[in-house]
Amino acid sequence: MASLSEEVLLVVKKVRQRKQDGTMYLMAERIAWCPEGKDRFTVSHPYADIRCQKISPDGKAKIQLQLVLHTGESTTFHFSNDSTALKDREAAKELLQQLLPRFKKKANKELEEKNRMLQEDPVLFQMYKDLVVSKVISAEEFWTNRLGGVNNTDSVVQNNKQEVGISGAFLADIRPQTDGCNGLKYNLTADIIESIFRTYPAVKQKYSENVPHNLTEKEFWTCFFQSHYFHRDRINTGTQDIFSECAKQDEKGLKSMVIQGVKNPLVDLLSLEDKTLDEGYGNGLTRASTSSTNKTIKDNSNAAIIKRFNHHSAMVLAAGSRRGETAAEQASETSSTDGNSRDSDLFQPPVKKAKLQEAIEYEDLQRENGQKTVALNLKKSYRYAHGPVPLQSQQYTSSQDIINSISCIQHEMTNYKPNLTQVLSSAAATSAIAALSPGGVLMQGGSQQAINQMVPTDIQGELKHLYVAAGELLRHFWSCFPVNSPFLEEKLTGHLEEMLQTAYSKLHTWQTRQMTMRKT
Amino acid sequence: MKLNIDGLLVWFPYDFIYPEQFSYMLELKRTLDAKGHGVLEMPSGTGKTISLLSLIVAYQRAFPLEVTKLIYCSRTVPEIEKVVEELRRLMEFYAKETGESNNFLSLALSSRKNLCIHPEVSSLRFGKEVDGKCHSLTASYVRAQRHSNPNLPTCRFYEEFDAVGRQVPLPAGIYNLDDLKDFGRRKGWCPYYLARYAILHANIVVYSYHYLLDPKIADLVSKELAKNSVVVFDEAHNIDNVCIDSMSVNITRRTLDRCQTNVDTLQNTIQKIKETDAAKLKAEYRRLVEGLKEANVARETDVYLANPVLPDEILREAVPGTIRTAEHFVGFLRRFLEYLKSRLRVHHVVQESAPQFLKDIFDKVCIDRKPLRFCAERLQSLLRTLEIADIADFSSVTLISNFATLVSTYSQGFTLIIEPFEDRTPTIANPVLHFSCMDPSIAIKPVFQRFQSVIITSGTLSPLDVYPKILDFRPVTMASFTMTLARTCLCPLIVGRGNDQVALSSKFETREDFAVIRNYGNLLLEMSAVVPDGIVAFFTSYVYMENIVASWYEQGILENIQRNKLIFIETPDAAETSMALEKYQEACENGRGAILLSVARGKVSEGIDFVHHFGRAVIMFGVPYVYTQSRILKARLEYLRDQFQIRENDFLTFDAMRHAAQCVGRAIRGKTDYGLMIFADKRYARADKRGKLPRWIQEHISDGSLNLTVDESVQRSKHFLRQMAQPFRQEDQLGLSLLTLEQLQSEETLKRIAQIAHQT
Repeated sequence: MASLSEEVLLVVKKVRQRKQDGTMYLMAERIAWCPEGKDRFTVSHPYADIRCQKISPDGKAKIQLQLVLHTGESTTFHFSNDSTALKDREAAKELLQQLLPRFKKKANKELEEKNRMLQEDPVLFQMYKDLVVSKVISAEEFWTNRLGGVNNTDSVVQNNKQEVGISGAFLADIRPQTDGCNGLKYNLTADIIESIFRTYPAVKQKYSENVPHNLTEKEFWTCFFQSHYFHRDRINTGTQDIFSECAKQDEKGLKSMVIQGVKNPLVDLLSLEDKTLDEGYGNGLTRASTSSTNKTIKDNSNAAIIKRFNHHSAMVLAAGSRRGETAAEQASETSSTDGNSRDSDLFQPPVKKAKLQEAIEYEDLQRENGQKTVALNLKKSYRYAHGPVPLQSQQYTSSQDIINSISCIQHEMTNYKPNLTQVLSSAAATSAIAALSPGGVLMQGGSQQAINQMVPTDIQGELKHLYVAAGELLRHFWSCFPVNSPFLEEKLTGHLEEMLQTAYSKLHTWQTRQMTMRKT
Repeated sequence: MKLNIDGLLVWFPYDFIYPEQFSYMLELKRTLDAKGHGVLEMPSGTGKTISLLSLIVAYQRAFPLEVTKLIYCSRTVPEIEKVVEELRRLMEFYAKETGESNNFLSLALSSRKNLCIHPEVSSLRFGKEVDGKCHSLTASYVRAQRHSNPNLPTCRFYEEFDAVGRQVPLPAGIYNLDDLKDFGRRKGWCPYYLARYAILHANIVVYSYHYLLDPKIADLVSKELAKNSVVVFDEAHNIDNVCIDSMSVNITRRTLDRCQTNVDTLQNTIQKIKETDAAKLKAEYRRLVEGLKEANVARETDVYLANPVLPDEILREAVPGTIRTAEHFVGFLRRFLEYLKSRLRVHHVVQESAPQFLKDIFDKVCIDRKPLRFCAERLQSLLRTLEIADIADFSSVTLISNFATLVSTYSQGFTLIIEPFEDRTPTIANPVLHFSCMDPSIAIKPVFQRFQSVIITSGTLSPLDVYPKILDFRPVTMASFTMTLARTCLCPLIVGRGNDQVALSSKFETREDFAVIRNYGNLLLEMSAVVPDGIVAFFTSYVYMENIVASWYEQGILENIQRNKLIFIETPDAAETSMALEKYQEACENGRGAILLSVARGKVSEGIDFVHHFGRAVIMFGVPYVYTQSRILKARLEYLRDQFQIRENDFLTFDAMRHAAQCVGRAIRGKTDYGLMIFADKRYARADKRGKLPRWIQEHISDGSLNLTVDESVQRSKHFLRQMAQPFRQEDQLGLSLLTLEQLQSEETLKRIAQIAHQT
């Protein structure tokens, strides 16, 4: 369990757990504790498993930190270093506060997904009960096999689902209403919150950092609306405000967008002018607008509004097309990897050429020459010509083998003579089938009652469950083949066998119970 | 197709032709035949550029001795590149049809910033920095110094070009800016100097106005271009402003402070050189005695040091004795500087003419006119002698000496205004000396005199007769062409009232009126609900837009607009605006729709096209009058009245209307395009305003659409947009606004076409 490659973020000594002294380690992905004098962790929780942290009130004698896991269990650490206990705890708390939200999202998403699947599929839920709750296999194992397969089909469905964009005016929809006693009421819906988060990722980050550890959800939004961030004069944001940082981040985002520049050379106002007049020349008619030294506060707030509208619209637009954009960005990234940076002019011409061509096109002056086609743009043409090349070619038969086998089959086919003497005539065959079908001559003698009427439904149900559970186990069993990794081998020989045994014994006990029930 | 334009065989690289293109070419041919100048207006999007190029290239091929060169001037870099691409298309068509590759050399020329391939220099962001850095690597004396000290940095591209580049002419073909760079990279030659050298023997040169109109650049770049060239100024509706800007100078206190340091540096350098290398100064003195010509061996790399006055005004005599020695000249500069400083210490506005200024300076500090005239030349010589590499630092002293030369050269057409403070902030002292050119004809005169044909053309040149007046030339042809349309694809509406009958106007008295602002907001709101994709709205000035946006925000109008479309707003910062523009286009592209709030006379209104869905409606809020309280403008108006008998109001309206036309014209860029043009000011309905709009817009304004309310205009827009949304095929246009070769040959069509040209 030695942490070979793990990055240790924080080490706190003299931490007691279950009345035992030890050292607490905060690693990149988990929190761990090892008792004094030993070299292995007795407590280790991945951050993703932790639901929340709790701390003891400030006045208390014992300075403690409690971690509550998703499973409901909890672990309590007691900081026992007299002089620095409080500081240690704060440090640990701070760090956890930053770390947890990151993993939480991931964990939550997975949990939600599992929950949803169980709710949507009663058969799966029953199976889960049969196999996991009765501890035939572990939950983890159950899901590893399940999620993979299901996710594949699921993602296709999700892709087909069209993502809904954001209304440009979502902030306008939050109309404040007076509640009659000097207060304002804002109506927030889940949609609006979602819109806010998608448009302003900075707010989302604040939310996941602060809720619910520091603030309740309600307090958070109250804060948000009270904050200058929501209001127009953003220039006066105080430093104590948690959203002042957001405003700054927005500013930064806007600036980076501006610095990035535009891809379309036709709208780049900076390079529009060919030869600007040197300073001091010109008519001076435009001078009034350039002197920005003595701007009033009103001018500034007006400029802030304008800036904010530009930013808001850009963000809304980006939120709506984020998915498409990442793909596009990747594409541009790959195309710019041919050794040149973005702003070098070797990269520019294709876009520029296309835009220029577009600009000088007079479509109605030309004869329409059929469908416009899109040129095939091949990064690596040899791959297009040859198709995917198998990685392990020795598993595949060579063309010589194929030719050989074909000739072999051909040879056999020519020599094939049907042995018709041993075959029933078709008339006899049909009559035999008819006789064996329900209602046929040979079926007359047996009991007419169908089996489903014979057996009571509850027993049927139980049997079905057993059948499904056994089927699932068998699926696990078969999915181990071909055995090409030590893990699978272990699974097969180790606990899977055990599991099958358990399942079998379960069936057996059920059977004997049924037998005895029938006898009585 | 092959056309017969008045006996000239013209290859036109398309299968069809617009009738107005045909008459445009006819008119152009007449101008060239007469070897005179012409003013031609044709709406944008009717293929003006390709018509021009086809005809002039055909003319050059037919009469290679009459017209040797085409100089095509445009305004922006993208425009220049577009022209070259159209030319490429034409030449490809020639090659395909005739089967022979012709030996035309055509190229674009732009500033170093767009052509430099030196890895360090080209990475600089501003054109000025690039020029300065290039200069410090390639100036003639820097290179001379390198002979003694080979460790100095060099530009290998220039060295390579200088060594071998001039011997072999650039092979025939079409060179856009990127092609030049490519070629330069392959050969290891500097593309900028290659292009500057190649324009001398090229058949077609495409570059920006400044290379012909700004004497500081024109003298260096375009001096040796052949006289029998045809010059075309495209997008020329603002050409008078370009002329004026290139001759005007502004001096602030900061300029003078920097100039002071410059002069000190000069003094120190002179002192140093005197101790080490006195012979150099003596040699310079001798050269100056012998005359300027000797001192001024053409050095193409010394760009910064050009004379600000026009070539025929430069004196061809020796520099006067008073400023011949370096120390004397620096002393002279000091005196001049002190005088300017004292002039800037005024407390009231001063306006005087150039002769008045000269008299005053003679009375106060005994500076004569003649040495002032040589100031620029003398400084050039000094800077060169002192071998100062970093010329960019000396821009202030260069500016002052240019001013000295200008003020003592021109006694007419200029005015000198000293303002102690800005009008808006009378308490803050910020003195500025404007030496302002009022007569655009001064700068353009040599162009008209030198070249046999100058064509001034644009989509919006109405009223045509103003341009010959203010540019002072006599055109042989003046014509305005309308856009023949198979369907009325533009819909100009004049919205004069709000729904509550409040008159809409941006005039000064009602500027702050909430009722007007609210009604403007309503108009935009209603339009945002009706018009698909993009809407562009123009305001008369940036301040006005800021105020309106703020009060729309307070009234909740913008929030409601956001329900329909995203809002993007032009800012004074060009980079920010570029980003907003791109996002705007993206929003139009993905179907969400957007509104761009912008400013008339701004960069967007002058250089950006809103084709098709990028601009389905343009709303012009108010009449974009220029700020009339400016003293410079007042002086210019006075001058126009006295010299050209143009009344102030006529000129102001003309200026406002050409900008309004530019703004609304941004939306229509072709016959398949369509768009609403909404003039939101009741003053547009008056005949004197309306009459100054280009003919192709004017003729679609019906009497019924002169004073609409917001509601009425929305109804009309809906109707118009529904009509336009119907499929529009080529067959619909054929015969009406699109002609085949056969149709063109019939008598009847030719007669009809003849009526299209609107002779004045």
